Amino acid sequence: MREAPDEELMLAYRGGDVRAFETLYTRHRARLFRFVLRSIKLRALAEELYQEIWMRVIEARASYAPTARFTTWLYTIAHHRLVDHWRRGGLTLASLDDHDVPSDSPDPAQHAQARETLARFAAALERLPPAQREAFLLHEEAGLTVAEIAAATASNEEAAKSRLRYAMAKLKAALDDD
Amino acid sequence: MTDERDPKVSRRYRELGAEEPPRELDQAILSAAHRAADKPHAPLVTPAGRHRWYFAFGAAAILVLAVAVTVQVERQRPDPEAIAASPAPARSDQAEAFAYKQGEQKQAERAEPSKPLSDAAKKPDRQVREFARDPTPAASQSGETKPPPSVGAPSAPAPAPSAMPESADSAASRNEADMRARAPQAAPLPQAGALEGRVASSALALSPERLLERIAELRKEGRHDEADKALAEFRQRYPDYRISEEMLQKVERKK
Repeated sequence: MREAPDEELMLAYRGGDVRAFETLYTRHRARLFRFVLRSIKLRALAEELYQEIWMRVIEARASYAPTARFTTWLYTIAHHRLVDHWRRGGLTLASLDDHDVPSDSPDPAQHAQARETLARFAAALERLPPAQREAFLLHEEAGLTVAEIAAATASNEEAAKSRLRYAMAKLKAALDDD
Repeated sequence: MTDERDPKVSRRYRELGAEEPPRELDQAILSAAHRAADKPHAPLVTPAGRHRWYFAFGAAAILVLAVAVTVQVERQRPDPEAIAASPAPARSDQAEAFAYKQGEQKQAERAEPSKPLSDAAKKPDRQVREFARDPTPAASQSGETKPPPSVGAPSAPAPAPSAMPESADSAASRNEADMRARAPQAAPLPQAGALEGRVASSALALSPERLLERIAELRKEGRHDEADKALAEFRQRYPDYRISEEMLQKVERKK
């Protein structure tokens, strides 16, 4: 059975079909939440922003037009909410210190090393300039292309590509220190 | 576009965790979506159903207001014919000439009282009134008080409104007198018809110096009454004119 594309679901919701919205929400909830959470330091704040983003989606349903992918539209709204947040309270970076490594290995030494590598990776992600981190998260978490990142962040493709490359290079460098 | 994704980086990123929003948050968002779907859209979108008349009513009100303002502005605009002296005479001349002709026609009709008035004869009466009314429509409509006729514009159609209730006869006779008085000069002369003889007929076209010379001629010819009247008219017309001693001796009656 064919899965309805996001754009079709959003149009259906615009027409009053709440089930379409539920499907759409289920598809994007986790990725969007992680995108916000890893852009914001406090979880409570991330939850608040996450809810605001979806409220904006609901409010803007009447003006929605499928001119681009729904994902791009959704993360454009998210980007604006984040920018507003950064402007309001100053830039706060996500803290990834408390993330634990899944213990696939029973060896405590390997587990400790993996934990250390992940902490370094998290620290590198945290140290990224906001624009680069956002580009990385949009690419890695939301699955946006460079062109879509440029559209979502109101920049041009060259800038988006450059930010993404810098971010990837820094994160790889953090992993290569192993 | 080349994929910038790096498998190693992606794997590490995935290891950071797979956080999800709490259930309560999901419920709150979905409930909001349900509530929004039940409500009509935002009021700024085109109104539907029974609210459709708002726009039609608003557009009609704006249209009526615009027309009313335009009409009001047109009415309050001063009549250019009443202000500028030059274009006015043309129309009033036409009206006066027509009224004069009608006056003659009326007199002819009075000379033949047995002849009944036909419709064709009655019709011009109305035309006279319309012509007489025509030159000052702006003033009569707006209630503006016209400035008194200036010296340079004696033929301005100021008397026209008062002609409205008059009969065609009186209008015609008045216009006839006006035409005579207006003839060559640039300034209205009070009691211009009172000037006698050659002075009376030509004084209106003469300069003050020439007029004094004519009066002196009258005096020289011994027509003292005419000279006295002409001198009185001259002084009334040019109260500020200083007559030289030499000329004064010529124009004043010797005592």
